[in-house]
Amino acid sequence: MDGTETLSKELQEIDGVITKHRGKHGELLGILEETQLLNEAQFLSEEALNHVALRTGVPLSRVYNVVTFYSFFNLKPQGKHKITVCRGTACHTKGSKALLEDIGLILGCGKALEDGEAFYTTPDNEYTISTVACFGQCALAPVVAIDGVIHSNVTTATLQKLLKKFSKRRITS
Amino acid sequence: MDSKMVSVRINGSEYSVPSGATILDACKRAGISVPTLCFLQDVAKNASCGVCLVEVKGAKSLVRSCTACVRDGIEIITNSARIRDARKTNVELLLANHPKECLSCVRNQNCELQEIAAELGVMHDRFVQTKKKMEWDTTSLSLVRDPNKCILCGRCIAVCGTVQTVHAISLSNRGIKTRVSTYMEKGLGNVACTNCGQCALVCPTAAIVERDDTDEVFEELLNPDKVVVVQTAPAIRVGIGEAMGMAPGSLVTGQMVAGLRRLGFKKVFDTQFTADLTIVEEAHELVQRLTNKGALPMITSCSPGWTKFAEHFFPDALAHLSTCKSPQQMFGALAKTYYAAKLNIDPRKMVVVSVMPCTAKKYEARRPEMMSAFEHWKEKRAWSADDAFYDVDYVLTTRELSRMFKESGIQFASLPAEEFDHPLGESTGAAVIFGATGGVMEAALRTAYEVVTGKTLTDINFVALRGMDGIKEAEVDLNGKKLKVAVAHTLGNARKLMEQIERGESPYAFIEVMTCPGGCLGGGGQPIPTTWEIRKKRAESLYAEDLGKTIRKSHENPQIIALYKESLKTPLGDLSHHPLHTSYQKRGLFVWKTNGHRKKEPVSTK
Repeated sequence: MDGTETLSKELQEIDGVITKHRGKHGELLGILEETQLLNEAQFLSEEALNHVALRTGVPLSRVYNVVTFYSFFNLKPQGKHKITVCRGTACHTKGSKALLEDIGLILGCGKALEDGEAFYTTPDNEYTISTVACFGQCALAPVVAIDGVIHSNVTTATLQKLLKKFSKRRITS
Repeated sequence: MDSKMVSVRINGSEYSVPSGATILDACKRAGISVPTLCFLQDVAKNASCGVCLVEVKGAKSLVRSCTACVRDGIEIITNSARIRDARKTNVELLLANHPKECLSCVRNQNCELQEIAAELGVMHDRFVQTKKKMEWDTTSLSLVRDPNKCILCGRCIAVCGTVQTVHAISLSNRGIKTRVSTYMEKGLGNVACTNCGQCALVCPTAAIVERDDTDEVFEELLNPDKVVVVQTAPAIRVGIGEAMGMAPGSLVTGQMVAGLRRLGFKKVFDTQFTADLTIVEEAHELVQRLTNKGALPMITSCSPGWTKFAEHFFPDALAHLSTCKSPQQMFGALAKTYYAAKLNIDPRKMVVVSVMPCTAKKYEARRPEMMSAFEHWKEKRAWSADDAFYDVDYVLTTRELSRMFKESGIQFASLPAEEFDHPLGESTGAAVIFGATGGVMEAALRTAYEVVTGKTLTDINFVALRGMDGIKEAEVDLNGKKLKVAVAHTLGNARKLMEQIERGESPYAFIEVMTCPGGCLGGGGQPIPTTWEIRKKRAESLYAEDLGKTIRKSHENPQIIALYKESLKTPLGDLSHHPLHTSYQKRGLFVWKTNGHRKKEPVSTK
């Protein structure tokens, strides 16, 4: 970057974020968090990370270290809807593994979710499916969060109903 | 370290140790050995392996002695059933995910994990593997990474980040998925890596190793159509003996030459010949810059890790680099032009192998601009691009050469001492010390002084430039003009001098930079382990060889004088420019966007 080329709108916005956080405690984390929120698909593009490294002087490998450590950061575009299945002990005993499998069947991505722990976005970018270790809502197990709303005592039937609401495509029951 | 002493009790006996010391330090001072694995003196103490555990009275759990500090009255126990059990379990946990391929591993019998498992009496393979198999990183021309063998000790990251300030690698992900990664898993060949190989030198296992070229070289040696010649860097003569089981720092110049002849090399030459040539060219370049007000300070360019570092991190200061090629590349160019013509050998049939203490040299030999012999011949002989060849065909590290010796059944220690071949084997004491930090500067000053003043330099030992201090300085008087010079080793120290230049505050006229700690004798291709004590011993041997030479100034090398007379005519002349000088490119940090330096795909090592 020789400084003469005009920066894209996204990179200009990132510059603003970097200026805001400069010198503050936990500078890099703050910058990365806001940079991700700026992005429509809720992820950190390589271009954005390059820019953050260039402007802050933090080594690229260090930036990569941070964004891969925290599960909050995404390196791939996220789906329009976010489904989070709790895989904590209480939810597990109440059958959360089966719920994850159900989601795989309903959305046709069973193979990708096979190992019981997941972070997957459907190819049409409609859904991102992820797991967490515990929501802290064990009394309501099993719980599934969809777009930030936590649903309790979820069964296959309720899952189907919930997902149907969002989906443009036909969901087989 | 705090000079206040505190009293500690270790295994029942009282000792007095400095108050800032770690428990491990205290035990060492007391002559009590505590096993360690991830810990590496002056480089890494990540407390990741849990091998150096000791008991501290009153502490709930066992304590990692590499990071925990002593306090007054502390009671330490270094051997108990509980300690032995815990140490052993920690190693067993590491072994669960470490491939059991010791017999076919390049670090077999030179592996710290293997050693510690034996030392701690690990007899069972108790735990099941939990990690998934990971892909090798074969993107680099110098190094190969096998993340499956990695035990996450963090030494490579520490040496790359803290010592070299390159930060090519870092940990990524977390928990069971934690691994050592380059940015976005692009691979070492596609990020700002200088190929210095210090990571390979400190790796306790074979998770990072040099790219192995021994098979290719063996094959060339068997080819009757090829004339295979070899050049050896100064630091090999103080490293190869060690790799062959002799004492650290053993000076084995003659045996090395004999061994190389027995491997089948037609001619055994010395990179020191072109080290002398480098000095003559570089000293004249310095004088020219001083008189013509060229970019100062001028900085040496024989260390390919350093030149690549400058291209990545200081792309706007490249004018400071000497345009002289490194001795390795000067040798390749001359061997396939001057020497080939002299003996009437078809340069296409000539194979130049270098033995270097260095992994970055493997990369350097594949830089696209390093084909000056081909450029020289192609018009004269109407050759097409299909005939193209590099000046240097293969680069072997000290470790690779030792493997070739062993594989060929050469009894190294009992070999008779033999002499290098002529004319490219002749060298002076000035060239020998190229292998130690400060050596190039000292050699250059011996020549520059006489070029500028026309007088004979009587005291040729520049002692201020010797030793293992990170940055050394000296002042020389050239006809009443005082010149300040500096010597830096490790890229971290080089960075300090470069930042000084960027700020416009550099007081120096001439700077020597060596990438590796201690200079080439501590290079990334040298025997493992390479510690400060070992580096010092290797340096002593180099300075002893210098002292033993009758000619100790590069410009007095009779074969160099003959070379100028017969072929090059004058230093920095038109004829020397093409084979001996080079240029640099601004690379910056985002290498993968501009990466265009690979002619042929590197072959897989297995």
